[in-house]
Amino acid sequence: MNELEPYFRLDWLSGSVAAFVAGYTVLTIVYSMGYMRGRQAQGRYYGYILLTCILSIAAVFADNLVLFVVCWGLLGLLLYLLTNLGESPGAAKTAKKTFIIIGGTDSLMILGLALAWSLGGRPSLFDLRMTTLEIPIVSPVGVMAYLCLLSGALAKAGAMPFHTWVPDTAQDAPLPVVAFIPASLDKLLGIYLLVRLNVDIFVLTKGLYVFLMLLGSFTIVAAVMMALVQHDMRRLLGYHAVSQVGYMILGIGTGTPLGIAGGLFHMFNNSLYKSCLFFSGGAVTREARTDALDELGGYAHAMPVTYTTFLIAALAISGIPPLNGFVSKWMIYQSLATVGRNSGWLWTLCLASALFGSVLTLASFMKLIHAIFLARPARKIEGKKETSLLLLAPHAILAGLCVLFGVFAFQLPLGRFIGPAVGTPIDYPGDWHTLAGALLLLAGFGAGAVLYIIGTALRARTVEPFVGGEVLEEQPAMRMSGVEFYKTVEEVPFLRWIYHAASQKFFDLYELGSRATLGISRMLSRIHTGELPTYLAWCVLGIIVLLFVLLGGSA
Amino acid sequence: MFAYPTYFVLFGLVLTAVLGLLASWVDRKVTARVQYRVGPPVLQPAIDLVKLLGKETLIPAGAHKPTFLAAPLISLAGVAAVSTLLWITVLQPSRGFTGDVFVALYLLTMPSLGIILGGFASGNPVASLGASREMKLILAYELPFVIALFVPIILSGHAIRLPDIAAHQADAGAFVLHPSGFLAFLAALLCTQAKMGLVPFDVAEAETEITGGPLVDYSGSGLALYRLCKNMLFITLPLFLVVMFLGGITLSVLGIVYGALKLILVVAVLTLIRNTNPRIRIDQAMRFFWFPVTVVALAGVVLAMVGW
Repeated sequence: MNELEPYFRLDWLSGSVAAFVAGYTVLTIVYSMGYMRGRQAQGRYYGYILLTCILSIAAVFADNLVLFVVCWGLLGLLLYLLTNLGESPGAAKTAKKTFIIIGGTDSLMILGLALAWSLGGRPSLFDLRMTTLEIPIVSPVGVMAYLCLLSGALAKAGAMPFHTWVPDTAQDAPLPVVAFIPASLDKLLGIYLLVRLNVDIFVLTKGLYVFLMLLGSFTIVAAVMMALVQHDMRRLLGYHAVSQVGYMILGIGTGTPLGIAGGLFHMFNNSLYKSCLFFSGGAVTREARTDALDELGGYAHAMPVTYTTFLIAALAISGIPPLNGFVSKWMIYQSLATVGRNSGWLWTLCLASALFGSVLTLASFMKLIHAIFLARPARKIEGKKETSLLLLAPHAILAGLCVLFGVFAFQLPLGRFIGPAVGTPIDYPGDWHTLAGALLLLAGFGAGAVLYIIGTALRARTVEPFVGGEVLEEQPAMRMSGVEFYKTVEEVPFLRWIYHAASQKFFDLYELGSRATLGISRMLSRIHTGELPTYLAWCVLGIIVLLFVLLGGSA
Repeated sequence: MFAYPTYFVLFGLVLTAVLGLLASWVDRKVTARVQYRVGPPVLQPAIDLVKLLGKETLIPAGAHKPTFLAAPLISLAGVAAVSTLLWITVLQPSRGFTGDVFVALYLLTMPSLGIILGGFASGNPVASLGASREMKLILAYELPFVIALFVPIILSGHAIRLPDIAAHQADAGAFVLHPSGFLAFLAALLCTQAKMGLVPFDVAEAETEITGGPLVDYSGSGLALYRLCKNMLFITLPLFLVVMFLGGITLSVLGIVYGALKLILVVAVLTLIRNTNPRIRIDQAMRFFWFPVTVVALAGVVLAMVGW
């Protein structure tokens, strides 16, 4: 083991992240065996998945910053290759966009690596051990180094402003890949790097903590507002993959043990319910052969188990107690309320965005549940059924874990691995007993059930629904898909023009960059007319300028 | 004093239901008096409930039966849990599990969540429409509501446990007496009106437009449960406001009388607002809560920060 010692390191944080990576790899492969059956290039597909797993684990265990950046870069390449295997027409374009955003931030990371080396005072680049650096950020160069390395973490996790690849990939990549990489693995890796940067590699200034908290709050609300108005299941879930990162950044950005533990817990929770949502939603859309929300509906009848797992995961992501999403959000809220004790007004802004973002999340998941599962079917659902155990088992396991991590939050995840990873003991100013709370809710549920039994629910009779006296079966157009539920939100003054600007891709860094690049190249191409006199004139002009500069300098 | 199950059954369920039915009677009586009617006898809300419980339960064709039947239970579980925690806060604040502001906030959205899921599950387009309005209403009032709740947190020196907030007021006076606390209470009261689905914010049920919205296909036991939840909320939400802003309830004869008066006051104000206003549209409700009410709540937070 001694030969490995300078390069790798096993601690509670890296160990638990690696264990989750391995678990997701197994689930993804099981799911893919059902989902990808009959597709082309299967050999390459599974090869890339396994390579992604190995490189992720290597990156997580890497203690050497150079080794880490190399594994990290290769992961970006693998995501490009996997996205390219998607069957939708936009897959190639999306893969390119993903690669440019991830690759671009990877080059920033290499720059950050160099800057960190210059600050760290180590003789060789290969002596940069992540866990022992603790570079104090005192100069602008330190801030630059931190921000460069941070950009890699943000792009991987899909936080703003590097988020735009996530919804596109969610829409175009093969579905198991989406559930595997942007929904779970990249969150684990990105947030893992963020924690390492904040805790081990740098010693942050207060300004940077404020920056992280603001970034997190903004990401939560802006991304979930976009999710609210999407018409495509995968794209909607993709925006949530962005929004949830905001909570993690916000928690870790508080810099308190409680906040960091909450952020880490939210990272694990998010990967659980987000891949559960993609897996179960994917099982439906594979059966329905469409992702468009207005063409689904009624699948609660056809696929009851998938409906149940999707519902559990949707309630978990919306933070409904006693599920896991509630506990981690609750920890982050508490950390914000405590941070408020000794810092001005910032916490109110962050806490309001986090709490409001949670309601917006609930709203957009209610829309999804209605449109996919509970609305009257847009197309015939006779003959549609749960396909196979391979497509069922992964999300059933994940939904079970969502409940388990919620009800036994303190005993299992927080006590077993998140607490040790944070190191310092965590003090909770709030009060939620996970098991007692769950039992309390269960008791209320049971009390209602007793009233049902006393009442007439057991002898219920089925009748025609009441729609103003009309017979619903004879009015097929009388159907509400739920896609336009939140049109009212889009029409609120002020929000109206933000949504309009967003639809013009005004907030997409990639689009803005490509527009600028194309604009400059168009200008340059206008100069290149192909006429010899013009080129000669440019040459002469250039020589005159050169002579002027050189001679002017010597004089 | 008691064990947890006792608190749950005796206070969370029975006492809340009894007081809730009483509050509902106060509401109906006041409404009747405003309209120059005599109004119902005091037992009428309870009689209605028992009668509904015995009526036949109908399930619309095309509904997702398990969700349709489970949805009222979600509502009941939420309101029973939060009222249990509030009663423990009032009666025995030293108890281990009393909940905090965030827990109460989340549990208080569960009654609405149950209504939304029930409306969706009935497979009726009118119910879907009403349920979507209920969801938009939550979006509307939740923003000013959480901001208003920051004021007690700030004024109590960043305490978030309910007993700590109540205890702070027992020492230093009710928060509503501060200018900041008053503004926040005002905003929270309006949000409570919407949480209860009372006029002018009854857009989700809007009997004359969408025939009850999410509840259109509910009958018999299911409807009875929703009715019971609404009645329980009619005391739980005022109790929450009393604990957060009006100084809580102290355990002495005088304190209990005083506490009951505070509860009746909140119920009466809610009733008066509902009797003197017409129903507004959902887009108007969203604009109302996101702009004027949020500004009032924010003003409260700013004043609280400067120590007023």
